[in-house]
Amino acid sequence: MTNFLQEVLTRLGYVFLEYQGNAEFRLLSPAPRWLSEVWIIPGAEGSIILVAEKSPFLADFLDKADVLLSSDDNATCQSEPWVERSPSGKEIPLQALALHVNGKRYLALQSPETQFKERAQLLQTARESLLEHEKLLREIQKKEILLHCIIHDLSQPLSVMSVTLDCLAEEPVSKKARRLLDLGKHASDQQMSMIRDILQVFSSDLKASIDAEKGADFTANLLQAARKVIDAFTPVFLAKTVSLRVDARADPSANWLVRGESTRLERIFSNLLENALRYAPSGTGVTIGLSREGEFLKAVVDDEGPGLPADLSPSQIFSLFSKGKESGGKAGLGLYFCQLTVERWGGAIGCESRAGGGSRFWFRLPVASQGEKTPAGGDAPREAATHDTMSIGKGPMRILLADDQEEIRILTTHQLERRGHHVVTVANGQKALEALQREAFDVILLDEQMPVMTGLETLKAIRKQEKKHAHAVVIALTGYNTDPDRERLLKAGFDGVIGKPFRMKALELMLRGAADTTQANLSAPEEEAAAPAPRSVADLLERVGGDEGLLRKMARTFLRDTPKRLAEIQKAIRAKRGEKLAFFAHALKGPVGIFGAEEAHQHCQDLQEHGRKLEFSEALRIYDALKEEIAELESNLRGYAGQKGSPRSGATRSGKRRVLTSKRKSR
Amino acid sequence: MLQKKICMLGAFAVGKTSLVRRFVESIYSDVYQTTVGVKIDKKIAQTDDREVALVLWDLYGEDDFQKTRWSYLKGASGYLLVADGTRRATLDKAISLAQRAREEVGPLPFIFVMNKCDLAPDWDLEPDWEARLAALNWTTLRSSAKSGEGVEEAFLQLTRKILAGS
Repeated sequence: MTNFLQEVLTRLGYVFLEYQGNAEFRLLSPAPRWLSEVWIIPGAEGSIILVAEKSPFLADFLDKADVLLSSDDNATCQSEPWVERSPSGKEIPLQALALHVNGKRYLALQSPETQFKERAQLLQTARESLLEHEKLLREIQKKEILLHCIIHDLSQPLSVMSVTLDCLAEEPVSKKARRLLDLGKHASDQQMSMIRDILQVFSSDLKASIDAEKGADFTANLLQAARKVIDAFTPVFLAKTVSLRVDARADPSANWLVRGESTRLERIFSNLLENALRYAPSGTGVTIGLSREGEFLKAVVDDEGPGLPADLSPSQIFSLFSKGKESGGKAGLGLYFCQLTVERWGGAIGCESRAGGGSRFWFRLPVASQGEKTPAGGDAPREAATHDTMSIGKGPMRILLADDQEEIRILTTHQLERRGHHVVTVANGQKALEALQREAFDVILLDEQMPVMTGLETLKAIRKQEKKHAHAVVIALTGYNTDPDRERLLKAGFDGVIGKPFRMKALELMLRGAADTTQANLSAPEEEAAAPAPRSVADLLERVGGDEGLLRKMARTFLRDTPKRLAEIQKAIRAKRGEKLAFFAHALKGPVGIFGAEEAHQHCQDLQEHGRKLEFSEALRIYDALKEEIAELESNLRGYAGQKGSPRSGATRSGKRRVLTSKRKSR
Repeated sequence: MLQKKICMLGAFAVGKTSLVRRFVESIYSDVYQTTVGVKIDKKIAQTDDREVALVLWDLYGEDDFQKTRWSYLKGASGYLLVADGTRRATLDKAISLAQRAREEVGPLPFIFVMNKCDLAPDWDLEPDWEARLAALNWTTLRSSAKSGEGVEEAFLQLTRKILAGS
């Protein structure tokens, strides 16, 4: 090799060796330091090196290169990068090139450190992101389940407290006792409001899904999701010699779009397939079947295993942490997740033992159509008005109440019977169906979450039976009382939804709505039943049972704390701290609501939303408007609280009729 | 001295490189460093009354970015198949890799290692995972490159398995 070429190649980082036969290579230039380090060779030009002995990777590479070079006189063959560790422990990246030039064979080596580091960095970043993503998904699933458990556990006793207070309020009690009852009722309402806030704020996954569900493109392809999951699972199934396929009758050209999100849909299929694989004996098959059922698309996963466990009912199988005694399942979260997701999308899920052996897990989701809007715009709940409705008189009603909480059954029955209604109570959906066989009811109240048979399952059974009969008015009682939850339940076919704990007045309004056969929508009484905002001190006094001392104390507390809260809000906006903004706006919202400052209440609500969404552009303007409203309220309250600095201080009894704040402006 | 080529197979970030480093150098680092290409290490192993030079081919983990090069498995005497107990998908990946290895190079002795047993309380596995693998006639071990538990045993058991078959 000429000196010129040798110099160029050395500068490019290459070292060339010429094959001498008998596995020996001769160095054509002095070995660079990295090569001497990794192989511990003298490194002088002309040295003979047994490359295959020095590097197992090169021995393997040269074997493979030999095949190629033997067949082509001018061939070159490049290796993948590899890493060898020097005796001192240093890792040295290497890459090799084998060449056949003019009848001679050469081996070129280089240490592409920079390219290697860049590639490693790129891969490292990508893989760390993947690991983070996996971790996040696990956290979200855990958080979602935990959140629903908390909501359920918090709501149940609160329902009992609320209804108890309603019952007591109807008893003849002293003025002082009534004031205490009102306070208790107010506190329980506040707590329910806080529970709803927790659900909205901390369930990011839920929030994301709600936001997504409101988008017009919230659709997923059922067949594609099934195929994708089958591709991923085939090796695992083959390892257990269980076949896996999509039923050939699923027409690929048909519309398989459903309301849902593809990643979660794949997770549903994955969970069902994992479950099937767990029980499928070797040599059997698992089949995914897809079909259309009216306005729904249905997917079934059939296995040839032992069928459903004898110790669990179908509804228990989907409940949280549920595992059969003989099962080798996990913590019992997978199927629970499936149920949560499918029902949130307005679908249903179930399972059954197959007549010929094995079990069938199925779910169905609404067909997605072009231009479809939010679930609220769906047809299902509104269909109620077009059915023949049961004959419901305006007088006493026959009401069936299904709720697993005995306290709720006792208290609600007490209140409804006081209003002259006839009430039959049962503890679960199965018993509700039995009761419906025995007698007819004007209204059926179903708790959403019940053992043995849930409210949704019961509703489906009722709707199935009523095909030949009149339409039954079925109202859902639910602890998950958010707008999307109400929409989900209406979409599922309930005629109305009432959140727990409910005000008896709200339920009464809903029952009156049910009695009015022309009223299609029974799901808005909460607003109608909401206590009107106090317009005057007299209103406020009535709310606190006429206790002026208490009202003055409340006013003083408000005047003391509000400036601090306003300052914190302003600080949070300037520092662009969304979480703090939401927190302090929420903290102020309650007190201004108590004093009937509707406009200020709305500003607080808006600021809270802006904080949650980290939107600060409008926040300062809203803050200024809020400050103005608060100033007016403070001025009036100072007068009532007897504080100095107000032109209206020293209120007289006539002052009790004073308007507390300006009326709410139209928005 | 007898020399045997052993490959490390498994999904990415299951701890293949950490197992090799623990076995060869008795060291461990908590920092995840992805493997690019192949890393070659050597270790003299003493099994019963024989010394064997093990040439360890630490192959990069398979994922969407890098697919396993099955040609590296050619000439191998056996392989250590690794999964991460905290990520259940890596067990499915291991099952799939074992099947693929059999298709590519025929039956080879291997040992399956469920790594990261120091994090056993956080494992995300079905309770019957070992029974499931036993049904496939797999030899399974639990290991932790961090604590060293089961690491030497895994490599030595694989070496014995290789020697028994040779």
